[in-house]
Amino acid sequence: MKLPFTVGIFSLIILIMLGCRPNTPNRINKEASVSSISKLPENPLEMTPMAVSLQSKAKTMSTLYGNSMASQRLKKGADYASGSVLYLVTWKGKADPDWFGARIPDQVMAVERVSVDSEGQKSYTFFKGPAWHPGLNFKNEERQNIMLSMPLAASPGI
Amino acid sequence: MKFKIILCILALVLLAQLIRPKELSSAKAAPVNMLAGVPKEVAKVLETSCFDCHSAQTNWQWFDKLTPANFLVASHIREGRKAVDFSQWDSLAIPQRNALLYSALNAILSKEMPLSSYTALHPAAKLNQKDTGLLKNYLLNKAVSKPSAVENTANGNGQTFIKEVKKSPNGIGYIADYRNWKAISTTDRFDNGTIRIIFGNPTAVKAIHEGKTNPWPDGTMFAKTAWKQQQAKDGSVYAGQFVQVEFMIKNVQRYADTKGWGWARWKGDDLLPYGKTVKFDSECISCHRPERNNDYVFTTPLDIKDFNKK
Ligand code: HEC
Ligand code: HEC
Repeated sequence: MKLPFTVGIFSLIILIMLGCRPNTPNRINKEASVSSISKLPENPLEMTPMAVSLQSKAKTMSTLYGNSMASQRLKKGADYASGSVLYLVTWKGKADPDWFGARIPDQVMAVERVSVDSEGQKSYTFFKGPAWHPGLNFKNEERQNIMLSMPLAASPGI
Repeated sequence: MKFKIILCILALVLLAQLIRPKELSSAKAAPVNMLAGVPKEVAKVLETSCFDCHSAQTNWQWFDKLTPANFLVASHIREGRKAVDFSQWDSLAIPQRNALLYSALNAILSKEMPLSSYTALHPAAKLNQKDTGLLKNYLLNKAVSKPSAVENTANGNGQTFIKEVKKSPNGIGYIADYRNWKAISTTDRFDNGTIRIIFGNPTAVKAIHEGKTNPWPDGTMFAKTAWKQQQAKDGSVYAGQFVQVEFMIKNVQRYADTKGWGWARWKGDDLLPYGKTVKFDSECISCHRPERNNDYVFTTPLDIKDFNKK
């Protein structure tokens, strides 16, 4: 009779202790991480971030990424040379729950890729994200030009 | 006997009233002008809930004046006015006024302010949804920074280079290679018209992928860059002029006095170190304090997977 009682009290105490542990979850923006898009040949998020843009009407935000060849443009200002790969990832934006005054990325709407081959030929590929909606009318030619001419986010170097 | 003890205690309490903080004599200073340019009902909310500790217009209740309570109140006012002082309103430029209002609202939303020890005795200072709604509405409609029109569409001029970057006043040296780190998030800060990239070093990216971000491991570094928002003809907004880069460097032992993080900021194209004194970083910490259960980090980072590793 006594044993079950002791066991019961003990497990209750342990439960309470676990419950009292400060609530410290790891916070990760899973929805905005591109891994849900299956056909991507490489992960753009692993490349060098080069430019950012906001489209206030569509309430989206985008980041332009480049491989090591493309990111030379950030330092030297040269044109995108052969071997350059650019990605533009566009997210639906959402209000930052921790700061009134900020918007942060939510689900991915689209991922676009432009590559420059050895002859300098450019090709454009489009990947649909989970938040894509057909109202966004992306025209290949136009999108490629937007990506190639995006003003870069320049910062001083030493 | 019992009676004597009570009498003694009473005498002591009365005597203690002779020792008073000097702030008490200067209390009830001239009333602060209502925040110029801000609608009356919005200013009223802040006056009622915040001015006792954040302005020259302090309003001591009789129980606030009793020793030792008065020492606590005086220290609140001293510390509070150091952090935020609404009496300075008239000398602030519009962007600084807006920044002050946004940080005030965020301090309210995160339940940091007004101090709960204060609202317990001054229930009128508690804010309700209507009060915060007034503030939110005002800020969203009247205090949103508009991006400037694009100055030069030409880009690809390459980087500007600086010979030498001075150390931050707390001794932290500039970290030059953050542009090779990964972007763990971006923010559109419509409160001050900037757009930001938050970079994480390899230790940070690994910690995110392994789900070990609370606490972040030693060696984690973040760089947050801010650019002015600049609007192109098509309506899109891009990163314009470079504003600043700021760092958080994790080392539990070395930075034990500053919550385990080294804090530093460099401003402008010539990367001038920010901060007047060694302790300038207390400003960083007090604004990051609402995130103390998240190791003082605001950003909810992207998980950056290596697609070749399954
Ligand atoms: C009882 C006094 C008291 C009242 C009332 C009070 N504060 Fe404070 N406040 C303080 C003190 C003390 C600090 C300094 C805390 C620190 O930095 O350690 C502070 C710091 C702040 C800061 C800077 C740090 C942060 O948390 O971001 C802001 C912003 C702020 N208060 C806003 C407000 C607003 C808005 C109100 C009214 C809604 C308010 N306070 C009411 C005492 C008070
Ligand atoms: C008025 C409030 C405020 C102050 C003061 C402040 N920060 Fe922050 N900080 C933020 C917010 C909000 C974010 C989240 C990202 C964003 O919205 O830009 C942030 C993010 C950061 C980040 C990216 C990692 C993270 O926590 O998300 C770094 C690095 C950083 N701040 C450094 C500093 C340094 C260094 C200082 C002091 C020189 C400082 N901050 C002062 C509000 C503040």
